[in-house]
Amino acid sequence: MEYHLGIPKLDKVQGGLNIMLIGPPMCGKEIFVNNIVHAGLMNGEGIILVSTREHGEGVLKWFEQSELDIEKDRERFGIVDCVSRTLGMDVSDTQNIKRASSPVDLTGIGVKISQFFEQFYMRARIQKTRLIINSLSTMLMYSNLQTIFRFLHVFTGRIKVADAIGIYVIESGMHDEQTIATLKQLVDGMIEIKEENDRFFIRARGLGSKLTEWLEYEIEGANIVIKGD
Amino acid sequence: MLKTGIPKLDDFMGGEVPPGRSLVYYVQPGVEGDVFGMQTLYHHLMQGGKGIYVTISSAPYTVREHFNEFGWDVGKFEDRFIIVDAYSALVGADSDERYVVSDPENIGALDETLSKAMEELGSGLVVFEPLSTLMDLCGEEETLEYVKKWKKLHMTYNNVFVCNFTAWPYAEETLKQIKEELFDAVVTIGGIAERVIFGQYFGVSKVDWAEVKKRSMLFKVFRPTGIRVYIPKILVTGAYHSGKSTFIHAISSRAVSVDRLGTTVAMDHGRIDHKGFAADIFGTPGQERFDPILKVLGGEAMGVFLVLDSSKPMDFVRAKQMLETARAHGLPYVIVANKQDLPDALSVDELRERMKVPKSVPIVPTVATEKKGVFEAFETLIDMITEVK
Ligand SMILES: Nc1nc2c(ncn2[C@@H]2O[C@H](COP(=O)(O)OP(=O)(O)OP(=O)(O)O)[C@@H](O)[C@H]2O)c(=O)[nH]1
Ligand SMILES: [Mg+2]
Repeated sequence: MEYHLGIPKLDKVQGGLNIMLIGPPMCGKEIFVNNIVHAGLMNGEGIILVSTREHGEGVLKWFEQSELDIEKDRERFGIVDCVSRTLGMDVSDTQNIKRASSPVDLTGIGVKISQFFEQFYMRARIQKTRLIINSLSTMLMYSNLQTIFRFLHVFTGRIKVADAIGIYVIESGMHDEQTIATLKQLVDGMIEIKEENDRFFIRARGLGSKLTEWLEYEIEGANIVIKGD
Repeated sequence: MLKTGIPKLDDFMGGEVPPGRSLVYYVQPGVEGDVFGMQTLYHHLMQGGKGIYVTISSAPYTVREHFNEFGWDVGKFEDRFIIVDAYSALVGADSDERYVVSDPENIGALDETLSKAMEELGSGLVVFEPLSTLMDLCGEEETLEYVKKWKKLHMTYNNVFVCNFTAWPYAEETLKQIKEELFDAVVTIGGIAERVIFGQYFGVSKVDWAEVKKRSMLFKVFRPTGIRVYIPKILVTGAYHSGKSTFIHAISSRAVSVDRLGTTVAMDHGRIDHKGFAADIFGTPGQERFDPILKVLGGEAMGVFLVLDSSKPMDFVRAKQMLETARAHGLPYVIVANKQDLPDALSVDELRERMKVPKSVPIVPTVATEKKGVFEAFETLIDMITEVK
């Protein structure tokens, strides 16, 4: 199975792949994530987004504000919201937002991911699913590396079995090298972002795509534009 | 004596959990196993018992809300229910609980707070949710050491000690300790997977105080009401107009039929929710021209009801033939002797005689139009399906 990521020049990746998306703060990682979500929805896939920084409603609002219409695709968009309960917000689950107790509640997060997988694949008969965890960095603030490694070990395995894709966002510069190296063992490829003199560059590794050299990009509104294209 | 309140599970463990014993719900990641500990606790409180809930990954108000999702109001037991809050300090939040662990990453601090709570409560039930998070925070070996210590403590208090444990890929030795050695009883909760997890089951893999009954049950979690043993497919068959559709509607909380001119042309489907069991029940059309549908429906069924119009002996041959068409032999089945209200209805004994039904096959008298006997028929079949052989 093939998946389109919705990032220019990095279009097709194979099902069963686990990908780490790594970049510094303020480089537009959220925009990348949202583009990946949007591309999946447009392709008729099921999307599972584990959100540790933005609560579920906030995620949906971004799409509204960016004038990306996902209204009719919403039932294929499952959000595991790890924020609302942690902040003590008095909100219950909705059709497409399930709330985990906290970012420490890996058991609960795991159950909710599995439930969305089941809902999309068994009940809605959707063949393709992409799982996005945004971000591992927040999870690492609450749990140690080994714990996150075990968690990811389970779900990268499930991604392979389901022929889905998994994308795991992590901040560069926030963790020591060993942390990144340890988690890298679990993924097949990387999408790397770097900043140099206020300019941003992207490249991919291990995804079988052409984008293996650093290319400069800019964020324009909700879009990622590769320069010199 | 403590019952878990989870359908069939108590039967599998010799009826109950004796005081001083420990039980672990050993849960495969991604499977909704946390409800087991909660249901056990709520059931115990409902029976008049006392309980402590140690929360490690959720705020206490989230815990209460989670109970509420199932319709379990733990607020009414405040005099004999304690939450030990081993979470709030972890995220720097305030807590209104009386028992707050100041440093949840220090297992000694938890031990101290828990001991105080137990002193106040006296003997009862202590539920840890989840033990795996404690392990993540405090280390595998250290946690195992404390589990041993708590086990002893619970024995002196005559407590029942219940842990939910998510089986992440910890060291093999750790998993082995949890799964085979440390606890007096182990209930495994897993998922049936094919690309994704689409079904969930539980089964007992160890009990020290009784003979282990190795049998797995499918389950589903409902909101409200909690864990139900789930029977995915029960078939209802029987001759034309014997009362199959009426029976299904009488027994189901929701049901649909596709009927034309008073006869079923496609099939009936109902969802039963009765005494801890949930089942999907499917009816077949009575007319002979629909027999091919019957063959399709017959596959994968877990049990069969054969509905008879007790006043129509000439239909019995057809009825027996339908049972065979459904290839139901080998599956548990119950004969439903319907329309017992009609004046010329045959009694159960007369039916058994006429149809040459062996004693081992139950015949249950019913009046489907008045819902008489229908749940007895269901309970009889459920016993046969879930029986430990
Ligand atoms: N007196 C009496 N009538 C019943 C009873 N159960 C069903 N009936 C009646 O029997 C008729 C047939 O009932 P259905 O439930 O439609 O029977 P069925 O087996 O689904 O019929 P087909 O789908 O056509 O094969 C209806 O008029 C019912 O009201 C009963 O226990 N007593
Ligand atoms: Mg009918």
